[in-house]
Formats: sequence, structure tokens, C-alpha cells
Amino acid sequence: MIDPFDTLGIAPTFDVDLAAVEKRYRDLSRVLHPDRHVASSPAQRRMSLGKAVEVNEAWRLLRDPIRRAEALLKRHGVEIKEGSEPKADPEFLMEMMEHREALSEARAKRDKEAVLRLAQRIRTREKAALERLSSAFAPGSSESEAIESIVPVLGELRYYRRFLDEVSAIEDG
Amino acid sequence: MALFEIFDPKAPPRPIGIDLGTTNSLVAYVQDGKPQAVVDCDLEVLVPSVVGYDDRGNVFVGRTAQRRALGHPKETIVSVKRFMGRGASDPETARLGPYEFVPPADADANVVRFRVYGRAVTPVEVSADILRVLKKNAEDKLQRVGGAVITVPAYFDDAQRQATKDAGRLAGLEVLRLLNEPTAAALAYGLEKKQDGLFAVYDLGGGTFDITILVLDNGIFQVRSTGGDSALGGDDMDRAVAEVLLGRMGVEEASRTPEVVRLALDAARAAKHSLTDREAVELELPAAGGGSTVVTIERAHFEHLIRPIVERTGVACRRALKDAGVAPEELDGVILVGGATRVPLVRRYVRELFKHEPLADIDPDQVVALGAAVQADLLAGTGPRDEVLLLDVLPLSLGLETMGGVTEKILPRNTTIPVGATQTFTTYADHQTGFELHVVQGERELASDCRSLAKFTLKGIPPMPAGMARLEVTFRVDADGLLHVTARELTTGIEQKVEVKPTYGLDDEAVEQMLLDALDHGEEDLAARRLAEARVEAERIRFATERAFVSDADLLEPGEAERVEREMQNLGEALAGNDASAIQNRVEELDHVTHAWAGRRMNRAISRAMEGKQVSDVEETVAGAKGVEAHLAAEQASAHGGR
Repeated sequence: MIDPFDTLGIAPTFDVDLAAVEKRYRDLSRVLHPDRHVASSPAQRRMSLGKAVEVNEAWRLLRDPIRRAEALLKRHGVEIKEGSEPKADPEFLMEMMEHREALSEARAKRDKEAVLRLAQRIRTREKAALERLSSAFAPGSSESEAIESIVPVLGELRYYRRFLDEVSAIEDG
Repeated sequence: MALFEIFDPKAPPRPIGIDLGTTNSLVAYVQDGKPQAVVDCDLEVLVPSVVGYDDRGNVFVGRTAQRRALGHPKETIVSVKRFMGRGASDPETARLGPYEFVPPADADANVVRFRVYGRAVTPVEVSADILRVLKKNAEDKLQRVGGAVITVPAYFDDAQRQATKDAGRLAGLEVLRLLNEPTAAALAYGLEKKQDGLFAVYDLGGGTFDITILVLDNGIFQVRSTGGDSALGGDDMDRAVAEVLLGRMGVEEASRTPEVVRLALDAARAAKHSLTDREAVELELPAAGGGSTVVTIERAHFEHLIRPIVERTGVACRRALKDAGVAPEELDGVILVGGATRVPLVRRYVRELFKHEPLADIDPDQVVALGAAVQADLLAGTGPRDEVLLLDVLPLSLGLETMGGVTEKILPRNTTIPVGATQTFTTYADHQTGFELHVVQGERELASDCRSLAKFTLKGIPPMPAGMARLEVTFRVDADGLLHVTARELTTGIEQKVEVKPTYGLDDEAVEQMLLDALDHGEEDLAARRLAEARVEAERIRFATERAFVSDADLLEPGEAERVEREMQNLGEALAGNDASAIQNRVEELDHVTHAWAGRRMNRAISRAMEGKQVSDVEETVAGAKGVEAHLAAEQASAHGGR
């Protein structure tokens, strides 16, 4: 995996200014996109394609808080992949299971209101988790301590995301 | 317009934009910075996408074919686009229509084939016949045609895109890019209005529906999301009305001949057009038992018939808005594209859905081709090298079939292209030397519910115990939205051979064979075409290298300039001859000696972009006002003049 901060030349922090990152992404696309190299040599065309792929990938990683956090951890030598993270807190797991059951029930009953209510509840929790993530990455907190607190939050966020993806699938019919 | 135009043998090749539509096709070009459509000898812009064949090998395209359709319904292919990239047993072949299909046999079940006078014709060939006429019309106007941008529905999958590109190749076009239709329309609007903001493009054509949400900011057209249905359009409205007409005419299901079906479909289309600005339409139709019957269709009845079709577009629109994270109120405008958006019910529906009065001030039939012409002009380097750039997305998720037939997504929909993804696999049996991957496209959980794109077989894995080999497979989607797969075995570093079996569509050999068949003198013509293609490519690279000498000579290392110059000279000598492979070899040599330099130049461009400077400012002064194609033409003209 590429380092998205290096690819876009952005300072590696969690609280990035997404508008500024997007501007950088576009500035790089202007020079690297294959459309700019149709009349170039084959070597340059291949190179531009490769670089454009990297720049697109970097922007995709950076605008997603989970992947952004993963990229930051990777810079500290901590590699976490979905599925390989430590076991989540059993109490949290239990709670999520209950929420998922409620969701499948609402789905079966075609209760749109209930689906929306559940989604709203999870979104609120997601927002709180993102705030915790942001403060864990904030300068000042000791590195090892921070990393320890980040990993479980990331696991939590993944649960929320899967839940919201499911909501999205229900809405799409 | 000049009264007459003098044929100029030195005329530069001109880039063109082609809208290969379901109902109509057209070609456009840029003149003095403005896109305009090409008119044919009858002063018509739109060429009906209708192709007719007779028993003597003649091909009729456009209005001529349309006139023959009633008499030769089976041999006249209408709306061929709906069959592009589809398999022989695709549900599309079972819809109301006058065609006879070659029954799917195992060997060629991956392509629909029409039976025309005992001959089997594929949709790619039919589309190529339309493209040839468009190319000819453009040549009549522009004398020489350069590269072409061909538009495709944004929601076209990989197989449908590949089929379109094959058709372009078969028609003898250099396809610069496949461009999504809504993006092309946005480009035409954006350049005309010069207004930044967030827009929705609602494109309901004859056979396909697209919805695209994009942001226009300072020359960048960035697609946020796209959605649609590649089998939904004005044709479906015609079919709904035709069913009613056939009933009123007293035609039983069993006695539906191709002739009567064609007649009903044509009458339905005429009724749809009339009902755009009239409340009712009267049609005089032949009755089943002889004589005729007058059928009246009122607009309310028509709207009742088509409402389910129109409402199907809403599902895709809501999803696209959600994917883009946009509420209708946040949009700055909604652009209408496609002939079917003339239907009043469609306009009302769009207005309610998006809460905006839709824009339709550029002709919805022409806007896509005009945008394609602008993009062709930009790509060919003849256009103003200003800051216009299109950033488009992958319309449907790409995935792999895993154990149990479940799809594992490797690239989600609405990812900006070009894009890549890498996955690592391992062998499951001792001494396993091959590995099969099944690539699918779509959003469904089960691979069998998604569209099968291809099976990739990796071969030549060194024999190892199970689980030891590590296969790294890279999926890359290029700027045309086409998928490419490469593979590597990580423990040995051996590059794997990837054998692609496309699930739908034609393989390279089949396209090559069609190319041969299409030319009068087969091999001979093909050789001439290869030489011409090699020349164009070589001239382009020569020009690019010369330009680099002016802008980035300081990045050359000691001795490098001499090597590059020597290869440039060698290439020049090869170009004086007529040996295509010699030219290609010299291009490769030049490519080889400029490779490291190109890398340094790319890095300089990146650091300049990061500093906020635009490299195009530098290139602008170098390329001057002429542009690449003009330069090529001058060189070619002088080379030819020397004979």
C-alpha cells in the first residue's frame, strides 16, 4: 500500500483540512492524469497512468477517516488490517448484535421508520468515536498510549460502518 | 460558411467526437474553439442508428436503412446499442422486436448474433457500420480525421465498453478515449456557461439511462457518483405503446410477424413524438382482418403507460445522490440529455425529484457529441491547453468470486478512475501450477447475480507445497473504464502469464479476423493500415521528444542527450521507409533511451504541482499555437511531398 500522505505531499496528521487535500489532489491530477499524456511517449503514458492511480488511491484513503488512521498507524510501524485487529470488548459486541437483530427485524417488517431510527443512533455513536480518534491522534498524547487507544476505536468504527452499509442496502431495496 | 471548400492535401488531421447513440448517432468537431456537429449530404446532423443488409452484401445506414426497415424488418437492425456486450441468451434478446437471432451455441454464446440472409452479424459489426458512415461524413467536411472520442453510457459495464472500443477499431478509427455521455454533456454545458457548482446530469436516451452527480470547479469536472440502467430508455416507452397498438389492431400474440411488429414500434415512436406538444394523437393503422383502424392515444393514457418506466429512473437518482452525499437542494442545476427527456412527464418528474427547473438549452440530442468533440480536441493537443480536466468514476463495483460463490469487492463503485487494486492469493493444493480467478461486476452479494466479466487463468506457478506460493494480482481500470489484470508470484518474482477468457464479447483474434474480412484486400490493406498507424504513433512520439528537449533539456544526464538524438535520427530514417515493424522497433528503442529522463520529467511536474505552479504554462509557450496534430500534418505533408 502506498503512503497517501507522501503521495499527496501532505503533513501526516489525523485532522487534515480535506478541502486543502482535495485541492492538492486536483493539482496533481492536472499534471498526471492520462488525458494529459495522450501525445506522450509510451514510457511516459505508463508512468502517468501509474502515478494517476496512486494519486487517486491516496485521495480515496485520506478522505476516509478509518483508512487515514490506518495509514498514520502504518507510519508508526503498526499494521492493522480488517479482521486482524484484537478482539473487541464483549459488552460492545453484545450490544452491536442486539442492534443488528433489531435491524433485521425492521427489515423483515419493512419498518422504514425503525431502520432510520437505528441508523441515526449508530451515526451518533460513529461521530463520538471519530472525535475520540481525533483526540487520540492529537499532538501531546504519548505515542504508545495513543496507539493502544486507537486500535479498539478503529474496530468499533468498522462495526458502525458495516451496520450503516447494511442500512444503505436496505434503502436501495 | 464558405461557398466551396478547396481540397487541401496538407489539411491537418482533425480530432472528432462521436455520440454512438441507441436511436441516433452524430459526429462533431471543434472549429475556432467552438464545438459543432457535422451535417451529412442531406444537411442532417442526426444519423439514425439503423443498419440494413441485403442479400448481395450491401450495407445501408441511417435514413436509407430506416426506409427499408418496414420491408426488411429482420435484416434491419435498430437500436443495436442495446445488444452491445451482451450474451446470446441475454434477456434483451427476448423483448419485443423483429429480429432473428442465431441460437446460442456453447462456443459463441458470449455474443449476440443477428441472422441476416444466412449470415451471422454481431452488434460490434453493426456499430462499426454506423461509425464508418460517421467517419465518412466527418471526412467530407474536414478532409482528414484524426483520433476520435466515442461516448458510452456512464453505466456501461466493462464488456459493453470493450465492445464499443472494438467497433471503433473495426471502423478504422483511432479511439483516443471512451467518454461517459453525462460527463460529455457536462463538459459542453460547463464550457458554455462558465459557472462552477454542483450539477446533476439526467440522461435518458433511446435505450439507456444515466444519472451523474458532478462538481465543476475551475475547469475540473469531478464526477462524484453515477448510476443508471443500461437497458432503460425511450425504446421501452415505444414498446409499451406498441403493445397497446397491436392489441387495438387485433393482432394476436401468435400472428405477430416481424413486419407488423416493426410497424407498431414505428407508429408508437411517432405517437410519442407527437404527444410532446399535443394532447392527443390519431394513428391510422392496418387492422388484422384487412382494412384499417384509427387509434387515438391521449397524453394521459400515454403517461399512464410510461409512468413505471419513468419511475424506474428515480431509484437510480436517489442512490446517486446518496452516494455523492448530496441533497437535491444543494444542487446548482440539473442538465437534461437524451431525446427521451423531451417527454413532458419526464421533465415534470425530474423537476419534482431534484427540486430544480431542468436545463435543456443545448439540444439534448447534440450535447453529448459536442462535449465529446471538446474532449477529443483537448486530448489531441489542438485545443486550448487550459485547465480543463475530466475526473470520472467506475460505475459498478468490481469483485472476485470467492469460496461459496460470494462476491468480494475489490474496487467499489464510484471510485475515481484510473484506479488499481492489489490482492494476494495462495495455492490450495501441493504442486499447484495454475489458478483461476473469476471477475464480476455489480453490487449483488452473490457472484452469480453480478455480471460475469472474465475468467483469468494464471499459469506457470512454480510447483510448491500448498499455501506456499504467493500470487499478487493487480487489477487496474484505465481512463476508459476498462479493466486490465496482471499477476506476479511473489516468492520467486516470476511474472505470471494471465490468460483472459472474456465472458461476453469478442476476443482479440475474433476482432482481428473481422478487421481482415472488412477490408477489400484483406492482408494487403491491413498492412497499409498498420504502417499508417505506426507512422502516426512515431510522429507523435518524435514531436513529444522534441518538445521535451525544449522544456526539460536540463534534466538530461551526460551522454543521454546524444543517445536520445541518435535514436531520434534512427527513427527518422525508419520513417522514410515503408516498414511498419522497423518503425515500431525504433519507437521502442527511443522509448527505452528516454525512459529515465521521462521519470525525471514526471517528478519535476509533480513537485511543481505541489508548489502550486502549473506545468501547462510552460508547455503552452513551447507548443505554441499549433498543437501536436498540426505539427504532424506539416511533417507528413513534407515527407509525402518528397516522393
